[in-house]
Amino acid sequence: MIRIERRLSLKLWVRLCVPLGSLLVAFVIITLLLFLSGVGAWSTYSAMISASITSTSGLSETFVIATPIVLTGLCATMTFRMGIYNIGGEGQLYMGAMAATAVALELHGEPGYVIIIAMSVAAALAGCVWSLIPGLLRAYFSTNEILVSLMLNYVAGYFISYLIFDSRSYWRNLTSAAGQVYPIGKTIPAASWWPAPSLGGVGIPLGLMVAIVLAAVCAVCLRRSTLGFKMRTTAGSVSAARYAGLNVRRLIVVVMLISGALAGIAGAVQVGSASHALDPTGLEQVQYGYAGIIAAALGAFDPIAVFAAGLLLGAINSSGSILVGPSFPIGLTGTIEWIVLFSVISGGFLLNFRVRWRPRASGHKAGLGRGEPTVPSSSEPTPTLAGGIGISKSTQVTERGAR
Amino acid sequence: MTEHLKCADYGPTPSISAGPVLQAVNISKSFPGVLANDQVNFELAKGEIHALLGENGSGKTTFSKMLAGLYTPDSGTIYIDGQPTALPLPRHAHAAGIFLIQQNFSLVERLTVAENIVLGLKEASLSRRKYKALVARIEEDGRRYGLDVEPSAYIWQLSMGERQRVEIIKALYRRARILILDEPTTVLTPQECKQLFAGLKRLASEDTSIIFISHKLPEIFAVCDRVTILRSGKSVTTADVREEGMSPHRLMGMMFGREITLSSKEPAEGDHAEDTLVLDEVTCHNEFGRAVVENVSFTVKKGEIFGITGVSGNGQRELAEVVAGLRRRSSGTVAIAGRTVRSGDPEDAIRAGLSYVPEDRLGTGLVPDLSISDNLVLKNAWAPPYSRFGIVDQRAVKALAVRLISQFGIAGQPQSLVGQLSGGNAQKVLLARELTSEPKVLMAGTPTRGLDVSATDVVRRLLIEAAKSEIGVLLISEDLDEVLELCDRIGVMYKGKIVGIVDRRLATPDSLGLMMTGMTA
Amino acid sequence: MSSSIEVSLVVSGLTYGAPLVLAGTGELLNERGGVMNLGVDGMMLVGAATGFWTALTLPGPSWFVLLVASIAAGAAGALMAALFGVVCISWHANQIVTGLALAIGGGTLGLSSYLASVGNLAGTAPRHIFNPIDLFGLHGLPGVGPVLFHENLIVYLSWIATAGTAFYLYRTRSGLFLRAVGEDPAAADAMGVNVVRYRYAHTILGGFMAGLGGASYTLALIPSWTNGLTAGLGFIVIGLVILSLWNPLLLFGGAFLFGVVINLGYVLDTRGVTVPPEFFAALPYVAAIATLVLLRGGARRSGGPQALGRPYSRVG
Repeated sequence: MIRIERRLSLKLWVRLCVPLGSLLVAFVIITLLLFLSGVGAWSTYSAMISASITSTSGLSETFVIATPIVLTGLCATMTFRMGIYNIGGEGQLYMGAMAATAVALELHGEPGYVIIIAMSVAAALAGCVWSLIPGLLRAYFSTNEILVSLMLNYVAGYFISYLIFDSRSYWRNLTSAAGQVYPIGKTIPAASWWPAPSLGGVGIPLGLMVAIVLAAVCAVCLRRSTLGFKMRTTAGSVSAARYAGLNVRRLIVVVMLISGALAGIAGAVQVGSASHALDPTGLEQVQYGYAGIIAAALGAFDPIAVFAAGLLLGAINSSGSILVGPSFPIGLTGTIEWIVLFSVISGGFLLNFRVRWRPRASGHKAGLGRGEPTVPSSSEPTPTLAGGIGISKSTQVTERGAR
Repeated sequence: MTEHLKCADYGPTPSISAGPVLQAVNISKSFPGVLANDQVNFELAKGEIHALLGENGSGKTTFSKMLAGLYTPDSGTIYIDGQPTALPLPRHAHAAGIFLIQQNFSLVERLTVAENIVLGLKEASLSRRKYKALVARIEEDGRRYGLDVEPSAYIWQLSMGERQRVEIIKALYRRARILILDEPTTVLTPQECKQLFAGLKRLASEDTSIIFISHKLPEIFAVCDRVTILRSGKSVTTADVREEGMSPHRLMGMMFGREITLSSKEPAEGDHAEDTLVLDEVTCHNEFGRAVVENVSFTVKKGEIFGITGVSGNGQRELAEVVAGLRRRSSGTVAIAGRTVRSGDPEDAIRAGLSYVPEDRLGTGLVPDLSISDNLVLKNAWAPPYSRFGIVDQRAVKALAVRLISQFGIAGQPQSLVGQLSGGNAQKVLLARELTSEPKVLMAGTPTRGLDVSATDVVRRLLIEAAKSEIGVLLISEDLDEVLELCDRIGVMYKGKIVGIVDRRLATPDSLGLMMTGMTA
Repeated sequence: MSSSIEVSLVVSGLTYGAPLVLAGTGELLNERGGVMNLGVDGMMLVGAATGFWTALTLPGPSWFVLLVASIAAGAAGALMAALFGVVCISWHANQIVTGLALAIGGGTLGLSSYLASVGNLAGTAPRHIFNPIDLFGLHGLPGVGPVLFHENLIVYLSWIATAGTAFYLYRTRSGLFLRAVGEDPAAADAMGVNVVRYRYAHTILGGFMAGLGGASYTLALIPSWTNGLTAGLGFIVIGLVILSLWNPLLLFGGAFLFGVVINLGYVLDTRGVTVPPEFFAALPYVAAIATLVLLRGGARRSGGPQALGRPYSRVG
């Protein structure tokens, strides 16, 4: 009979094969989907690859799109690791974009690098403010941060729409001919456009380099720093963290601030490298904040893997935006990403369990210890192996008692 | 081994008839990495009370869960009334009349007694007429066996003893013929114990067969007819309790293959030691506004082991949390090593010199997802020498882990996950950490619960050694044996108050038992 | 038929609250069983698209098309929920992440838009929609008339859903077992209740209701299609379930209030109060946050099922 048992150890080959296998399964499903909707699968794939990876302009565009996704992916990773689900990356990105645009417009005339740094700082701060709200509410009132951060996404979205569409605000372009006809945002000065130095014909955006650095910093932080240790402890058991003297509330706020800053910088990158203005419609269409969450889940909440997943999603998105048309419907991008994500999450099951073919009724003697299982005999969820996709133990951080 | 529960002998069960009602032949069950039951043989006669005796980890609970349909044996057969019966699911066991009452009851707290009793029954209906019939039946069974419960009460309102009664009534309502009770007396006062035993005898005399799982010998002698001993997953022997020459000592010899004496402490002489932990009129309320700890005052001296005992659920856990700073106190003061500590501030308590081995080993004291070395350094990881400029010094952490693993004999590598260690090993990790942080006060909450004998002995010895090194030890335990063998003075808690503090030399199990029900000595 | 501002507010509350009630009762039952499905948003959108598509392409009399369209919408939601169920109930994946994946995947950039493109839904006029029906001919009664007797079928469905859920939960055996499963699956399991089956059943039901709720928009309230039509409402539904303390009657009340708020903008507009439309669009979300804070709406405290969000397995 087939038995499903929990894994006791995770060998490296399993850890690599399972995600790759999931991608393979996703590939098959997507091919099927394309076939069913009457679109040539192979032509679609080759078009996607040439649009996003093999052509130099395509690759440049991929990098531009991937960068904010990586950053919002890091935003999600830093909090999800602790069992705090900040899904407000989208809204934090919007606020960052708003702040960055304002700074860029205001500092007209200053040297480029000054403006760029100021944009980043302002954007990070704006993102922080927006993530501070759910953070504080979560830390001190135990309010569900999922819902609060999510609601704030919509509030932020409507706010920036208001700035461009329904007000005569600083951000709005009221002078140009186009701006008289239809509300658009002011373009930021050319000096503040983020450079993308060319490497063999492919433009490497400044934002991407920043993202690489930030991903490395996050990785080091999680694995080696004191803060990362505190986060691991809290993720494992809140009561243990408090028992050890940690100020869990402050930790939650700090992590949320970091997370918001990352998403804010994503907003700055988007403004500086792509839209060069505050463009609510565009931002709401690409939904980089949510794409970041997908990247984080694909990367199993490990910053380096999230970086890679971000690049993959960037490639998919970029080919999507280039190819959009009758044979490439607008929802295809999201659907592909979704199938990939679902396959990988399902594959995560195999990381924690293994399927065994066990012949009936033969006692298992060799090499087994004696005594009761180490798991307490009530059905407590046994601790999962860290690193499985979608951290299987529902790590809902709950507060009670003093402080 | 002391007989702390002088339960009166209830005499042999009158109507044990021939032909076993249940028979388990060569039952084996393994889990990943562990062989829990190895060719266990067991037989239960109709109308008998049969004990299943074994220390923690011997396989008793696994076996009982198989009889109850919660696990499926890997091999072997179960016979009910002579017929081989498969029990893949709980409802099959229920159909066969087998009912298990686990240590953590299968009761849904937010539902009422009546709702819990009909939970899972196909014929259950919430119509008025049926409900009245149900209530009538509950009350009738309650009167008959001395198991009164209030049908419309919510489970969360009931004490542990009352909840146990609900479980038994629930079994009876489902026409249970075979009752399995897993360590039923851990949550009862000595008085409730007596009531339970009287009820069980009554049930047995009416042809209900009972399997009584326990590791406490005096109880087995008080109420059981036969006893089967499990050791390391195997059924060692079955003995008749009433047989000539049978005694707790002989049984213990059969349990372990040898006589075991657990370490105990000589009572400390004299009063000259200084106070190291002082509680003064400490009160604390829970989220419903009830006082769970009320005006508790006591002191622990250097080098002394002070015990707090009582039936679990009378405020001991909350008291420990208040001392450790994990729970705010409403009034009163706690002073550690002469310094008053702030309410609700665990870090302050740690700095003042408190080490706490919590009852909730794997949830509060240790983080199961982290490694041994991470857990060992848990409390000091945020400061030098283990952490500088925000980066953790991995080498220093590993060095500490290697040192403590060898010093305390922990079976595992520094990088092994604590969640996968056995109970005894995990407790060693916890104690290793707490004892080596040079505390002034060590507070331990039920430190030996769920541990096998050798691990229990290690823990006891560590506590005694701690006391010898001039640390004040506060031991919170429901195990009267343990408290009487280790502590110098003993305080009894009842409903959040300290009912009395006795010197160990003057304390007896009876006097303590009386205080545990609220009557002052 | 005369209508005053109060009556029109009440009507709009009932009407715009109805989809929230439909999706909400589904999610409420889902969560009562201990499973938290954050993917309601995605399921609603996919249901909306599916319903609209069916209504556009299926030939036949109006009542028949609408019936099939509604069922199709529900089925689409149920399918997605079934997928969620397998991944989370059987394979113990993290419910939060999976639910979000479902929401995003079915959302504006995902499946619903894909279906819309394939089916050419955008900008197409509907062929069949639910119109308000006149019940017993009593719609002429002042005040009460329009409210009670001249509503859309969707609205009546929402009433049935509310009452049905309340009855089911508190007065039937099945509802009792469901509550037990959500509070303490181990205890329920030991008593012979099939925890897995109950969870699957109610998760799939939740998906069906979410799909139906989504279709309420494209088949009745806003009978057209734009990508992301109901985006964000699914999350309001989840918030409502928590705020209602998992009580169907409170859920109805909350949904009604949200229906009112959503329309407050238009109503005030007709009275000459000009406020930027974004303000009113954002108002429900701000209100949701405020209410969450005020009611200290943590997910598992204050009355939530104890086992919510935690996978269950019987060891061994």
